[in-house]
Amino acid sequence: MKHDRREFLKKAGFGALAGFGALAGVIPGLALEKTDAAAFSQKPEQGKTRWGMLIDTRACTEGCSRRVAACHHVHNVPDFGDPKNEVKWIWKSSYQEAFPTAPHQFPSRAVAEREVLTLCNHCAESPCTRACPTQATFNRRDGIVAMDYHRCIGCRFCMVACPYGSRSFNWLDPRPAIKEYYREYPTRERGVVEKCNFCSERLVKGLPPACVEACPENAITFGDLNDPGSLIRRMLSDNETMQRKPELGTLPSVFYII
Amino acid sequence: MKPSRILLITGGIVLAVVMMVSMFSTGGEADTSVTSPVSVQDSSACIASKKYMRSHHMKVLEEWRHDVVREGDRIHETPDGRVFEKSLNTCLSCHSQNRFFCIMCHQYANVKPTCWNCHLLPTETK
Repeated sequence: MKHDRREFLKKAGFGALAGFGALAGVIPGLALEKTDAAAFSQKPEQGKTRWGMLIDTRACTEGCSRRVAACHHVHNVPDFGDPKNEVKWIWKSSYQEAFPTAPHQFPSRAVAEREVLTLCNHCAESPCTRACPTQATFNRRDGIVAMDYHRCIGCRFCMVACPYGSRSFNWLDPRPAIKEYYREYPTRERGVVEKCNFCSERLVKGLPPACVEACPENAITFGDLNDPGSLIRRMLSDNETMQRKPELGTLPSVFYII
Repeated sequence: MKPSRILLITGGIVLAVVMMVSMFSTGGEADTSVTSPVSVQDSSACIASKKYMRSHHMKVLEEWRHDVVREGDRIHETPDGRVFEKSLNTCLSCHSQNRFFCIMCHQYANVKPTCWNCHLLPTETK
């Protein structure tokens, strides 16, 4: 039988692959991944929970300032007083700013004048996490788009990628611009991007997000979108709701009743 | 009283209780609560021996940072069953008494960790 070089290499390659495969089966230590199921018991599980928010803009009569202030206080968000350096986790937008692609040629006066609370949408298909070169921003297992400030290099790709303007850059040292420190949460430093974290540090303690708690009209509903029996899912099925820029396919987890 | 009558009354009470519970338990309270609340045990002992913490605290903190930020796992359980929240605040809740707790050794060893650029030292008041 004639063997040329190419045939020999092909057969040798397949042989080696089969050998390694068998070895990994015999000696479990050589298998690629070791999974300890017990270690995952208290962590968020992939696909089990997807946190979401429903904002009833009809109930926002007092102007939402209290919720913005509560959020910015418990997360040590700096206030530079200058729109150029503005850092914001949650803020007020007009209806047109929040829903620029929604039909609004002749809106009713109530809708045209309405102020909408806007924040990070914690998209299921988040463009920011794809843009991040260091994985400083990433999708948590419970649907929250989280920031790892330790890893952020301040390239601001995520700010360009986010279609909602939910991200802010610290052009200056934020510490002097914080009126009163909230001791249970760290500040950021100059040169990192920051945004809403859906209060993941409060959720783990069983508390609702700060904006939900601060809302006097109970206009914000927070809950698990993956649980068909949750209050937010029941409210979503009972009301007509909107997402911001749904045509982009980012699948936002923040919903609005207009 | 006849046994059948007792049975009827007990059944009525049970039915009433069940109806009351099902009527008043549909509130939204359960929605925002999370399955694993952190219960922090106040402790006079550290999570590991003094010797281990002296040499390996940076490894512990790095592991904690990864677990909390990336995995969302905030609960540390020591081999003897004590439970702590994985947070710098847990360390500082005991060690903040000594103002030079971090600084003393770090200055001697000439290491300059950047923890306090963002995390708040207990001595920083404002």
